[in-house]
Amino acid sequence: MDVQGLHMTDTKPTPALFKRNPPIAGEAEAIEAAKNGDAEAFSKLYALHKRRVYTLCLRMLGNVSEAEDMTQEAFLHLFRKIGSFRGESAFSTWLHRLTVNLVLMHLRKKGLNLVSLEETINPSEEDAPKRDFGSRDLQLTGSVDRVALERAVASLPPGYRMVFVLHDVEGFEHNEIATMLDCSTGNSKSQLHKARLKLRELLRQPEQLVQPASLQEAAR
Amino acid sequence: MTDSNFPDFDTMTPADFEKYLPDFFANGDGHVSSDPRLQTFLANNPDCAALVRDLETIAEHAKSLFEPSYDPSDTVWSNIQSKLNQPLTEDEDPPLAHAQ
Repeated sequence: MDVQGLHMTDTKPTPALFKRNPPIAGEAEAIEAAKNGDAEAFSKLYALHKRRVYTLCLRMLGNVSEAEDMTQEAFLHLFRKIGSFRGESAFSTWLHRLTVNLVLMHLRKKGLNLVSLEETINPSEEDAPKRDFGSRDLQLTGSVDRVALERAVASLPPGYRMVFVLHDVEGFEHNEIATMLDCSTGNSKSQLHKARLKLRELLRQPEQLVQPASLQEAAR
Repeated sequence: MTDSNFPDFDTMTPADFEKYLPDFFANGDGHVSSDPRLQTFLANNPDCAALVRDLETIAEHAKSLFEPSYDPSDTVWSNIQSKLNQPLTEDEDPPLAHAQ
């Protein structure tokens, strides 16, 4: 089975992710022990990275049950293939790429075809940001509450949310996103811009931001 | 994208600006408001300047979401442990094995 874009090698480190994924104390030892099948080491790696992997899955999928399934799959793949990790990039960078690719593969299997389908990546007109460019009273105050932002991101249409999470939250470059989603770089830029415009609109009306069920459930 | 792909920075309209804004963000490390080529335009078009500030604020605050917020349930680890102890079936063969 050949899975396009599913890269498990760590030969192309991403500087932005390196900066944001500094080594964790005890991680290197746990990786080496896990390569030798040490069950305790697996447990430690899971404990170190479960929140970040799960949060990434939840943001991409917007569904607790699927996010947990994908978290499980990500760690199973990780533990089975950890021998191929050579330490040329940050471990968490490697793990994030693995997770993103698994989630995208899952979405494709479900029939959400992100491959080169503008109409799938693009949300409906109703979900698109309103053309309120130029209205002077739209300026935000300069600070954004994290909880409100989290809710606004969860309210984004899936295509917008995917590109926003990958670029602005996870730090992937447009060319990397284009490869992962099999779309053009221009499309990635455009989707990101529309996502930010939509977020601006949502954040200006915080009273209309309802907490999505997925986040309520996840917060329990 | 080079400057030759953009309209004249001093004479472009807000509509031109809107059209090229995704590229301005992509090419300027996300700091459109400090792009020297756009200073005159932004000074003359406060609505556009406000839009840029808002979008920069959103992008900046998005980085704070990188820190994880949620924990998976304990069931996830139980399932992983259980599956790790099972032999691989062909269907479960990790596709990652084919990526190298």
